[in-house]
Amino acid sequence: MLGTRELEINLGPQHPSTHGVLRVKLKLDGETIVESDPVIGYLHRGCEKLGENRNYIQTEVYTDRMDYIAAINENLVYIEAVEKLLGVEAAPRAQYMRVILAELQRIASHLVWLATHALDIGAMSVFLYCFREREAILDLIEGYCGARLTTNAIRAGGMRLDFPDGWTGAAKDFCDEFPARLKEYDTLLKTNRIWMGRTKDIGVISGEKALSYGITGPCLRASGVNYDVRKAMPYEVYSEMEFDVPLGSVGDTYDRYLVRLEEMRQSRLIVLQALAKMPEGPVMNKVPKRIKPPAGEVYVVNEGPRGELGVYLVSNGTDTAERCRFKSPCFVNLQALPELAKGHMVADIVALIGTLDIVLGCIDR
Amino acid sequence: MSVVQRPELSLWKRLFLVELLQGMAVTFRHWWRKPTTEQYPKERPKILPRFRGIPKLQDHPDVEGILCIACNQCSIICPDDCITVLGEPRTVGKGKQAKVFILDYERCCLCGLCEEVCPTTPVPAIFMSHEYELARYKRVDLMNDMKELYEPQPTKEYLK
Amino acid sequence: MKEQLIQYLAVPMLQIAAIIGVMLLCVMYLVLWERKLIAFMQVRMGPMRVGYHGLLQPIADVVKLLLKEDVVPKAADRWVHLISPIILMIPALACFAVIPFTGTSFEVGAFTIPLVNYDVPALTVTSWVADLNIGLLYFLAISSLGVYGLVLAGWSSNSKYSMLGSLRSAAQMISYEVPLGLSIVAILMLSGTASLVGIVEAQQEAGHWWLFWAPLGVPLLWPQFIGLFLYFVAAVAETNRAPFDLPEAETELVAGFHTEYSGMKFAFMFLAEYLNMILAALIVSVLFLGGWLPVTFGIPGLSELFGNFLPFLGGAGAAITGFFWLALKVFLVLTVYLWLRATFPRYRYDQLMSLGWKWLIPMGLAHVMVTALFMLLRG
Ligand code: SF4
Ligand code: SF4
Repeated sequence: MLGTRELEINLGPQHPSTHGVLRVKLKLDGETIVESDPVIGYLHRGCEKLGENRNYIQTEVYTDRMDYIAAINENLVYIEAVEKLLGVEAAPRAQYMRVILAELQRIASHLVWLATHALDIGAMSVFLYCFREREAILDLIEGYCGARLTTNAIRAGGMRLDFPDGWTGAAKDFCDEFPARLKEYDTLLKTNRIWMGRTKDIGVISGEKALSYGITGPCLRASGVNYDVRKAMPYEVYSEMEFDVPLGSVGDTYDRYLVRLEEMRQSRLIVLQALAKMPEGPVMNKVPKRIKPPAGEVYVVNEGPRGELGVYLVSNGTDTAERCRFKSPCFVNLQALPELAKGHMVADIVALIGTLDIVLGCIDR
Repeated sequence: MSVVQRPELSLWKRLFLVELLQGMAVTFRHWWRKPTTEQYPKERPKILPRFRGIPKLQDHPDVEGILCIACNQCSIICPDDCITVLGEPRTVGKGKQAKVFILDYERCCLCGLCEEVCPTTPVPAIFMSHEYELARYKRVDLMNDMKELYEPQPTKEYLK
Repeated sequence: MKEQLIQYLAVPMLQIAAIIGVMLLCVMYLVLWERKLIAFMQVRMGPMRVGYHGLLQPIADVVKLLLKEDVVPKAADRWVHLISPIILMIPALACFAVIPFTGTSFEVGAFTIPLVNYDVPALTVTSWVADLNIGLLYFLAISSLGVYGLVLAGWSSNSKYSMLGSLRSAAQMISYEVPLGLSIVAILMLSGTASLVGIVEAQQEAGHWWLFWAPLGVPLLWPQFIGLFLYFVAAVAETNRAPFDLPEAETELVAGFHTEYSGMKFAFMFLAEYLNMILAALIVSVLFLGGWLPVTFGIPGLSELFGNFLPFLGGAGAAITGFFWLALKVFLVLTVYLWLRATFPRYRYDQLMSLGWKWLIPMGLAHVMVTALFMLLRG
């Protein structure tokens, strides 16, 4: 009996290009994807539940481990929520420091994205070049707080420490050197015909559809929707910074690539502005040692490298939260994968997972 | 806000493989750059002053006896409950001092909160050392008592 | 009778043994060079631990592969799984029979093997195992047999990833055989022979490599650059190397057709791949870059000087020099191969097909036509 059948294939959870432990159930017709179904949960550690069992200071440690590529942004949004519950503000200098660190972290995170995305499509050298640059940023972050990934750097009311001597100079040096490096990546990828062929018109999603999926961050902006939390609801000192929000026109993988590259350039500008404007002064406001916010609830959003990070906290007046909920941009963005992948080839699903820039730690929490 | 430009390849670039050759030039230039590799363990990484390695205990010459006052603050703040402290009356002066201090590196997440809350002066009794080699052959070796917490970790030097 | 037996049986046997030995050594060090070169291009260092700057790394790798457990998936077809690496390996090795490694042949005088007191008559030893008059066709025919190994390997492992990888490679190798063949036709027309030795000799007679063939006496008018480019692209695709390494695209298909292979069987597949690379580079050197002919930069006097570095050794000196030039060319071609891998992203399956059928094959046809036209014009 001869006949044709769809081929079912399991991409992951142990697979070189699923960025951790994502599993995608694929139904293939030849090499064309008929159906794709992401299965998640392999990295679930119960961060939200831990947030309800540990006090506010301790929970920040777990936010490091959610989106381990961009820990500072996660720290920041959590601490902002705690500050809002407490009704305190961060010290002015600390606000600038937060912006600097968050933007550096954004560049680092985008570099990891570019690296792995390029590797998925087969450009191996870009991977290592990007990691070299990221190394420089991680050295800066390590020099500031002592850890490279699990930063745990921000405290309610300000920052734990001031920048060490020579830190700002090193950060400026990095910013000066960075554009030349970005240009090299452009030469290797941006106009490369293979890269264009692999990314143009792959996974097109319209702005409307992206909104209805709830996609945020660069993926949304690549579809032409002008929504950036830093502009829409400025937090910290973003309202004083001048920067551009790059938008895409088609909403394909190539646009998402271009948007993120432009974002790196803008982030660099923000870092330079914040370094120039940063006032002197204490980095910590007076905050009680034991954090016991009054009963109430808050929801705070931030612009993370992957999209809108949200924290919802309910306090019952003790030092532990009654309810702690993290809104993960990766989780939402990943839901669009079946839509994006339909009709493309197996090779494209790898590019699409890359372009959504997911971090499984952030999805599964 | 601004819309990013989508570059197109012009015909002559397409025909003469210009952008491919430019890309090859980039990799060729990198050939002559200094490698960024660190030859660990023959070459030890440069450790920045604020680096948070595994927590250790320390004493201070200004304070007689054991610096830790067994206040239990570190074990309370530790998010992973990896510190156990038992106190005894101080041998010199008033107050308490640590009699038993057990730190379980297996669970420590190197967050640095213990160092932050430690109230002793002039330096915190528990501090984040610059040691980073945590691998052990047995899990029980990761449970450290006070004696081990005072000792610096032996490091093996390798010839280059 | 005895003389013929020795000349036609013993000598080729020894030659085959020598070629296999040398080639396996070459593969080992090609792998090291690949790792080193790509590491340098990626600001890394590559293997550094075994030996001085990792020079003994290939030996360590071989030992590791030999000692590794040979895992066969439970649902695999054991026999096919076993023989497919061999099917891959044999054509790759068999192709080396027609490659001329250097021009001159050695005359070995009569001598006696000590201990057994066996008299060996005077012999002529050539640098090729066989100078077939259809050498090029033989190469094309035999090298395309390797695809069976890939397909069987993918099928017998009973894994979906392997299966997809082997299907891809079958399609890829079959489609790129056509431009590969077309790119060679012009060379055949220029040399008037299909023997690889004859092709190099024709280049020697013409006084320039076929790459620099300047019809109508106008330099750079229609050199065989197009042919070289076509051959090179097709050969990269044939050997499944980046940017056409779809059958083993590690980020999509884990490792493609050899996902389920380990130990020595994996080593065989690996060897076959690198042997094919060396083979492709050898053929490029022979067809377009003048084989064992020296690099003269078009200066006539240099050919005397560069033709024989060791004049005091006479014919043997010339042979060694020829081998040196060939090795240098092959090395450079292989370096370009690796350089491509360090630079480019990977094509997608359908793009690869359309590149092959829509671009390379028409280009190949046009190339043949234009070359023929020029030859006609020249008369
Ligand atoms: S570093 Fe953190 S986890 Fe480790 S002992 Fe100190 S408080 Fe506990
Ligand atoms: S180490 Fe510091 S915080 Fe911990 S018990 Fe001793 S004095 Fe208290």
